[in-house]
Amino acid sequence: MTLSPDSQTLLLLCSHLGLSSASEYAPMTLKNWNPLAKKLLSISKRPADLLELDKEELKYLLEITEEEAERIAHLLQRSGTVAIELERLNSLGIDVLTRADADYPLRYKQRLKEAAPTILFYAGEKDLLGQPGIAVVGSRHLDEAGQACAEFVGNACGLSGLVLYSGGAKGVDSISMNAALTSRGTAVGILADSLEKSIRNPENRDAIYRGDLCLVTPYSPNAPFSVGTAMGRNKLIYTLADYAIVVASDAEKGGTWAGATEALKSKWIPVFVLDHPDMPEGNKMLLQKGALQFPHPFPEYHQELKSWLDKHIAEIKSDLSQLSLF
Amino acid sequence: MDKTHTLTLLRKMIGEDKDFRPGQWEAIEAVASKKQRTLVVQRTGWGKSLVYFLATKLLREQGSGPTVLISPLLSLMRNQIEMAGRIGIRAFTINSANKEEWAAIEDALSRDECDLMLISPERLNNEHFLKEVLPQISGRIGLFVVDEAHCISDWGHDFRPDYRRIVRIVQMLPRGIPVLGTTATANDRVVKDVQAQLGPGLTVHRGSLARESLRLQNIRLANQSERLAWLAENLPKFKGSGIIYCLTVADIERVTGWLKQKGFSAEAYHAGGNGTMDRPALEQAFLNNEIKILVATVALGMGFDKPDIDFVIHFQRPGSVVAYYQQVGRAGRAVEKSYGILLSGNEDDQIQNYFIESAFPSIDVTKDLLKVLENSEGLSLYEILSRVNISKSTAEKVLKLLEVDGIVGQTWDNKVLYFRTPNPWRPDVERVNRVLDLRRSELAQMQEFVDHQGCLMKFLLEALDDPNPVPCGRCANCQGKGFPASVSHELVIEAENYLKGTQVLIQPRKQWPVGLFPDQKRNIPLELQNAPGRSLCYYGDAGWGKLVQSGKYQEGHFSNELVKAAAHLIRDMWQPNPFPGWVTAIPSTRHPKLVAEFARRLADSLQIPFYPVIDRIREAPEQKTMQNSSKQAHNVINTIQIVQTISHEPVLLVDDIIDSGWTLTMAGYLLKKQGGGQVYPFTLARATSRNANG
Repeated sequence: MTLSPDSQTLLLLCSHLGLSSASEYAPMTLKNWNPLAKKLLSISKRPADLLELDKEELKYLLEITEEEAERIAHLLQRSGTVAIELERLNSLGIDVLTRADADYPLRYKQRLKEAAPTILFYAGEKDLLGQPGIAVVGSRHLDEAGQACAEFVGNACGLSGLVLYSGGAKGVDSISMNAALTSRGTAVGILADSLEKSIRNPENRDAIYRGDLCLVTPYSPNAPFSVGTAMGRNKLIYTLADYAIVVASDAEKGGTWAGATEALKSKWIPVFVLDHPDMPEGNKMLLQKGALQFPHPFPEYHQELKSWLDKHIAEIKSDLSQLSLF
Repeated sequence: MDKTHTLTLLRKMIGEDKDFRPGQWEAIEAVASKKQRTLVVQRTGWGKSLVYFLATKLLREQGSGPTVLISPLLSLMRNQIEMAGRIGIRAFTINSANKEEWAAIEDALSRDECDLMLISPERLNNEHFLKEVLPQISGRIGLFVVDEAHCISDWGHDFRPDYRRIVRIVQMLPRGIPVLGTTATANDRVVKDVQAQLGPGLTVHRGSLARESLRLQNIRLANQSERLAWLAENLPKFKGSGIIYCLTVADIERVTGWLKQKGFSAEAYHAGGNGTMDRPALEQAFLNNEIKILVATVALGMGFDKPDIDFVIHFQRPGSVVAYYQQVGRAGRAVEKSYGILLSGNEDDQIQNYFIESAFPSIDVTKDLLKVLENSEGLSLYEILSRVNISKSTAEKVLKLLEVDGIVGQTWDNKVLYFRTPNPWRPDVERVNRVLDLRRSELAQMQEFVDHQGCLMKFLLEALDDPNPVPCGRCANCQGKGFPASVSHELVIEAENYLKGTQVLIQPRKQWPVGLFPDQKRNIPLELQNAPGRSLCYYGDAGWGKLVQSGKYQEGHFSNELVKAAAHLIRDMWQPNPFPGWVTAIPSTRHPKLVAEFARRLADSLQIPFYPVIDRIREAPEQKTMQNSSKQAHNVINTIQIVQTISHEPVLLVDDIIDSGWTLTMAGYLLKKQGGGQVYPFTLARATSRNANG
């Protein structure tokens, strides 16, 4: 795989690749990058144009401080080492998408705007990212109804040609994903950690090999689990899908709760919550906050899921203008 | 860029009276000033290292980052690093052998106090190196040097899978980073291929490959004994030091033993022997002229730089003209007259064909291995071997190839684990066949070279597409004279006796293979291990090997000559102490009488009794069809048993051919468990095919 010069520049500026953990220069966060991207647009330049410049020129062109210029110059010098790191990732089956790529998921740009991650590492069929589908979320620990629901939605996705989006973790995520894949469907896992390790799992590997699965993460391919990254990727699950189904949520705590309330507030897509007599407290509260009811057991055939969802969604008006930044 | 300044630097490195060799300045300028991607094809000894050291110096003076130099043989570059130190180049190497220095090196890197980093191609796939070391180069690479760049090409005589990774990295490197490839041995086809792979921007600097001090001569002597005699007779005529190249480890040991017996200062140098050989020490002793003759495989090859080598003799013929040119080119770099003598004999083709046939693992083997990996998240090499019937070296070779192609990855979890990546695997049959065809045609060209009547140097230069091949006027064919091609009869007889008298040691196995007994420790208790044993010869080799071969497969009977030789070896040379009180043999249902009958005659000759106490419970597949330790031990463990009460005296345990050694280990283990005394294994021959190379 060869990266476009723009993508390569983004990778140099915004990823940890080839950067020592002891380095005094940190890669750029979204907060750092977005103003810079705007600046570039305003002076009709592209990211790759930065590669040619030295520190003084950067400072002058971008109207930034000495320190900022030094940081950018330093980050841009890593092209050799990044090339070597990237080669290793490629040989493991991992590729890169950046906001400067034409293939970058449109839905992120439309829905997240400036919060769209600059860089995605992925393994598998990237064309799945943003295909019509359902996001399934929920805690790792499930009651029987939750398990049945996760499996039902997974199967339904497989049987009706919808992509099953999940966080690729244990519990709800893996149950629904396996259900989708075993019914010969497709799935996307948006990981918060350990992409490198996840693709060693034989089921994942086979599904990737068949083109039925894409595992993607905005974090380093070998990032360890952390609460922060798990929280941060929630919105990346919702915003790739057309509908979300919350299977089980704690009340006012935990990742599922945080993600679901964020999604309700942002109105990216309709959010359903599993509704049954023994439902967890969090589910009830999400319903009170305006989430839609998803009955258990589901009253219709698997194949009817999409039309049922369409019938029951409330009107959501979202702003589909697209981010025009790299 | 300042040529005078560069010349000053050059003189500081190699001497005030020195000057640029033709092409050196042009290459330095292309890399350091024009920042071009450059391939330098120049003969060994021309001074390629000067180009990358001086370019590094100039680039560093301009403020560039350090040079990353990739070379397959780093240990041999010590003197060059020392030379570079004279112009203030701080060079470091990171390899598995200098772990204790890593921290200091990483530190130097972080302070930008490293100018040149030497690494092996394998390092580029090492996680620690990629994550901890490389980023310390303050992120910036000033110059990327690929030494022995012909290894990139399938068409090269020495294609290395790791170089495919280098190609992908170079393709991803930004244009601003200059790349320098160097090689001494690339014909037009290889150059074109390297160019195609590294990108069209590659400019080629090519010089004459002729070696002006070298006098070539080719001599055909069919038998090993004749060639050994030739060595003994002619080596005293060479003043200085030299290398004798052999094709196999067994040949190296034989030649070295003979030369030592004849009073020469000779040492063996190869990659075998379980890594016990201290190769750096041997190299150093050879560099210091403390050893006069190094008997080596190609393991002593690329990058080895001793300027005052007087002769390179090939005991056997290499597989290609390019390989020969490179090996013989070790001679005469800084001496006026040097000799390259190519001896060639009957066994050469057989060995070379074996190398060609075994160069690529079969597709079925690869498929089997992948299937095993596909069912797991990661397996160690031993776990793989216990599931697939392939040899360890084949497994390593297959894994290496799959790894560079991104089909298999490596991770670390207290041990190296191999796992399947999601990248698709498509066997490249066409490529394999293409390379095999190439190897066969190279072999044919080499056969032609041996009998060539014209100028030998010109033949080599033409084969290497030298821009201006002319007759050298120095080789034996140009001069019409050279070393004698005949040898004294007495020496031949002596060499023959030497070959027949060599004993081959059987080392006792000390551990069961991993996975054989899940509930037992791997160690074989000391009191149940065999004593060290002996084999009469290597199977099929000169000496007794041919007799063993025809005895086993043609006559179905081992001759009395072999009985006599075995008894002589045991009684007069080996002299095990305490001496065995009886003889027993490993039976085979395939050849029920062969070994037992030989053992009975041997016992008679040694004047001790023969008791056939070992029986086969059921017939196992021939041991040689089992490809690795784990499989071999499984194959043997339940097939033999002791059927009689046995004597407690020491016993001579006889078999015809030792392959894995598991049959003898198991039989000895059982004998000792039943109260037997010391067990001395003896076999007529040791199988060789598995460790022919190395």
